Amino acid sequence: MAEAGVRKKISVTVNGVKYEREVNVRTLLSDFLRRELGLTGTHVGCEQGVCGACTILIDGQAIRSCLTLAVQADGRSVTTIEGIGSPEQLHPIQQAFWENHGLQCGFCTPGFVISAYAFLSENPNPTDEEIREALSGNLCRCTGYQGIIKSVKAVAEKMQATAVSNTK
Amino acid sequence: MSVQVEPKKLKWVGQRVRRKDGPEKVTGSLKYMTDYQFENMVWGRVLRSRYPYARIKRIDTSKAKAYPGVICVLTHEDVPGFNGFGIVIPDQPVLCHDYVRCMGDAVALVAAETEEIAEEALQLIEVDYEVLEPVTDPEEAIKDSAPKLHPSGNIHSRVHVKNGDVKKAFAEADVIVENTYYSPRQMHAFIETEGGWGILEEDGSLTIRCPGQYAFRDRLQIARVLAWNPERIRVISNPIGGGFGGKDEITVQIYLALLALHTGGRPVKIHYKREESVIAGIKRHPFKVTMKTAAKKDGTLVANKVVAFGDTGAYASLGGAVISLAIEHSCGPYYIPNVDLEGYCVYTNNGIAGAFRGFGVNQVCLAIEQNIDMIAEKLGMDPIEIRKKNVYHQGGLSSMGHRVTTSVGTWKTLDAAENCELWKNREKYKANPSEPWKKRGIGVATSFHGIGMGFGLPDYGAATIELLPGGRFLVGVCSEDIGQGNGTVFAIVAAEALQCHIDDIDVIQGDTRRTIDSGTVSASRSTYVGGNSVLAAAPFMIKLLKSTAAEIFKIDVDLVELRDGKLWAKVPVEGKNVLTYADIYQYLYEHRRETKVEGHFMVPKAEKQIGNNVGMPHHVYGYQTHVVLVEVDTLTGETEVLRVVSIPDCGKVINLQGLEGQAEGGAVMGMGYTLYEDTIIERGIFKTTNFTNYILPTFKETPIIETIPIEEAEKTGPFGAKGIGEVVMIPIIAAIVQAIYDATGVRINHLPATPERVYKAMKEQGVIYRG
Repeated sequence: MAEAGVRKKISVTVNGVKYEREVNVRTLLSDFLRRELGLTGTHVGCEQGVCGACTILIDGQAIRSCLTLAVQADGRSVTTIEGIGSPEQLHPIQQAFWENHGLQCGFCTPGFVISAYAFLSENPNPTDEEIREALSGNLCRCTGYQGIIKSVKAVAEKMQATAVSNTK
Repeated sequence: MSVQVEPKKLKWVGQRVRRKDGPEKVTGSLKYMTDYQFENMVWGRVLRSRYPYARIKRIDTSKAKAYPGVICVLTHEDVPGFNGFGIVIPDQPVLCHDYVRCMGDAVALVAAETEEIAEEALQLIEVDYEVLEPVTDPEEAIKDSAPKLHPSGNIHSRVHVKNGDVKKAFAEADVIVENTYYSPRQMHAFIETEGGWGILEEDGSLTIRCPGQYAFRDRLQIARVLAWNPERIRVISNPIGGGFGGKDEITVQIYLALLALHTGGRPVKIHYKREESVIAGIKRHPFKVTMKTAAKKDGTLVANKVVAFGDTGAYASLGGAVISLAIEHSCGPYYIPNVDLEGYCVYTNNGIAGAFRGFGVNQVCLAIEQNIDMIAEKLGMDPIEIRKKNVYHQGGLSSMGHRVTTSVGTWKTLDAAENCELWKNREKYKANPSEPWKKRGIGVATSFHGIGMGFGLPDYGAATIELLPGGRFLVGVCSEDIGQGNGTVFAIVAAEALQCHIDDIDVIQGDTRRTIDSGTVSASRSTYVGGNSVLAAAPFMIKLLKSTAAEIFKIDVDLVELRDGKLWAKVPVEGKNVLTYADIYQYLYEHRRETKVEGHFMVPKAEKQIGNNVGMPHHVYGYQTHVVLVEVDTLTGETEVLRVVSIPDCGKVINLQGLEGQAEGGAVMGMGYTLYEDTIIERGIFKTTNFTNYILPTFKETPIIETIPIEEAEKTGPFGAKGIGEVVMIPIIAAIVQAIYDATGVRINHLPATPERVYKAMKEQGVIYRG
C-alpha cells in the first residue's frame, strides 16, 4: 500500500487538453477532475459507485470516477460532460434530454448523458430493454426514468435517420 | 386589476414547454452550491453524536484546536444567540450541550485547510458521555414510565377530530373492517447531499449559499442563532440537486454561518458524504395506523375510527404538521359522516423525521384505501364503484365536516381509471404472466392532498417583474426550483400575461437579496402561489408599459392598446404608431425611471377551522388516482410493477411536460416506498448507511407509466391550476398493495412489501406455485 501523502506525477488528457499534474496517490479521479481541474459537471452522489452521477469516459469507456484513482488515468484520455457539448452547442444526446424532459433537478443528468453516450456508441439502435439494462447503473430520484428512456430513444432514432441519409 | 386571457388564446399554458434550465443542466455547466471552490476556501465538518441517547459530561476540543491546519473548533459555547432550530418549534440544538438525542446530533464543528485535516481533527475532539437507554417505540414513549426526551414529555403533538356518532354508526353498520398498518422510514435520497458554502463579506454581512426550500425562513433561523438582524444575512438557495422536503428544514446553513464568523473572511464549505447525509438528514415519519371502517350494504361508508402514531424521532421539525395533515386526509377524498380520528406525533431517539413529499398522507392513504377494498370485497362491489359512490364533490362536505368549495376532480379521475385501457382489459393482462410461477394482479386507489399551508397559517406569495434591455423580462419568485420545474411554470405564466415569447423571460429564484419572500417550496404550493403572484405583478407591468407608451405617443393611456406583445396607438400620432417592449425600456432608461414592479398574493382560506387544529382544513386540494399492474414471483415473493396509469387532477395544466415529469417521478418514488425503501434504525442506531443497503428503484424496475391529466379548473388558481407535487406519489402505494392481493390473495399491511414479507405471507396462507 502506498503511504498517504505520497505524490506522483501524472499526464492525462481531459476533453482534448493535456494536463500534467502531481497528485496524491490516493486522490480520487472525481476529486481530481472537480477540485484540481475545476470540471464540476461531474457530480458525486454516493462515493461508492452506486448512483452513477460521477460517470465519465476513459478512452471511450464509461467508468465511475468516484471508484477510480487519479493515477489510474495517467497516460489516458478522459472525457467529462464538459467535453460532450456546451449550452451554446448541445450534443444531440443533450438536446434530446432537454426536448424530452430527461431531467428535473439535473444533478444526476451529466452521469446519464455520459452513460447514454458510451452505450449508444456501442449500440446505436437499441431496444427499450437494452436501454433500461444499460442505464440501470445510474440513479435518478426525480424523473421516474420515463423522460430519460424517451430521450435516449429519440436520439438513437435521429442518429439512425442521419446515418441512413448519409449513406444515400 | 387582473390579467384576463381567453382560454382559446392561450399560447404557452398547457403546452409541452422545455425547461428553462435545460441547457445548463444537460451540459453540467450549471453550478450547484456544492460545486463551488476557491483558492482560499476552508472545509467544515460536523462532529456527530456517538450514541442515540446520552448525557454529555465533558467536551474537550484542545487537541483538535492545536492540530496543524485547523482554523477553528466550535461547540455550544460559541453559539452567540439561540442554540436551536426547527421550522415550527426550534427544539433541535445547533450544537448539543447537555444531551444528545439521536445519532445525527451535532456536538462540534471544525474548519480546516483541507477536508482531510478537518476529518482528522474530528477524531481529536474528546466527548465524555453518560450513555442512556434509548426510547425507540412511539407507543412505549408515551407511557409515563418512559424517559422524557424533552421537558414537555414525549408527545410532541396530538390531533383529534370527531364528527357525528361513531359508536352508533358502528353498531348499525352492515360491514366493519379493522386493520393495523405499518409504514417505513423513507429517505429522500436526493442525489446532491446537503452542502454549500458561506462567507463573511468585507462589509460585515454574511452570505450563505445552500440549497433550501425557503430562503427567507432559512435566513431567519440563521439570524436567531447568531443573534443578528436578518437583513445582514443573504441566503441563496437555488439551484438544488433534489429536495422532496428533505431540504425544507435547516441542513448546513447555520453551521456554515457559525464557521464563517471564525475563518477570517475565507469562504467555508461543507458537503456531506452520503453516509453523513443518511444519519443527519430528516426522513419520512414511520407510522402505525389502526383504522376501523364501516359501511352499509349498499357500500355507503358510514364510520371511520383512526388512531395513528407518527415517530418524529428526536426533534419536532415539521412533525406536528405531518400528523395534522395525516389526520385531515385519513378518510380519503370521501364523505364519511361519523369519524373519530386521533393522531399522535411522538419523540423517540430514532433519528429525525420531517417534511417529505406527501407529508403524512402516504401513510394514511394505505390504510383507508385498503380498508375500502376489503369492504368492497365483502360486499361484492367493484373497487371503483364503491369509491365513486363515496367521494365528495365540489360544494359537498368532506369527512372533516367542511364544505369543499374549490374544484374536486376525484370522481372524474376514477371514471378515467375505469375507462383506461389497462383497467378495461385487466383480465387479459392478468391472464398472461411471464412465467408459470408468477402471478399478476391489478390494483386501483385514489387520494388527495392539500395545497398550501391550511387554516390559520400564514400563506402568501410575491413576485417581481423587471423590464430589461431589449424588451426582455426578469421574473423573480423566491420559491426555489427543487427540480419540479416551477421556474418554467413562472416563465409560462409571465409569457402568457405579458404576451411575449417564453425565451424573453428570465427567472430568478431563491435569493433573499434579489427576490421577495414568496413562502416555502412545499405543500404542493409553488405553482398555485407563485403563479398567482406573477399574475398579480403582471398588471402593474402592463400599466407601466402602457403609461410609458402613452407618454411617448403623447396620448391618453386609454388610447394605448397592448396587442401581440406590442403597444399600439389607437389614434393617429406623430411618428410611429407602435412601440416594442425594447422601445419602452429604452425610454425608461433614458429618463432614469424604475422598470421593476411587484405583485402579492394571499392564499384564500377555508371559512372555518376544524376544532382547534392548526392548519386544518385546506382550501384547495389536488386529487389523484392510480391503476397498477404487478407481477409477483411466488417462489421468491418479489413484486414487479409492470404498468402504471397515473390520473392526476391538478386543475388546469400549466406545463404538460412538467406535469408528466412529476407524475412519473412520483409514481416511481411511491413504488420505491411500497416495495423497497426503509431506513433501518435498531435501538437508535442506523443500520442503513448508503445506497448499497438502501434500495432505490433503478431504470430496470421502473414500469411503463401513462399519465392522463384531469383538468378540473380551480377558479382561484393561475389559469385554473392547483398543485400536484405530492399527491402523484400517494395512491400508487395502496394500488400496488391491492394489486399484490389481487395476484396472490395476501394483504401486506407492513411496508415495504419486501420479497421476505410477501413470501412469508404467501407461505402462511399456502399460496405456492405447483407446477
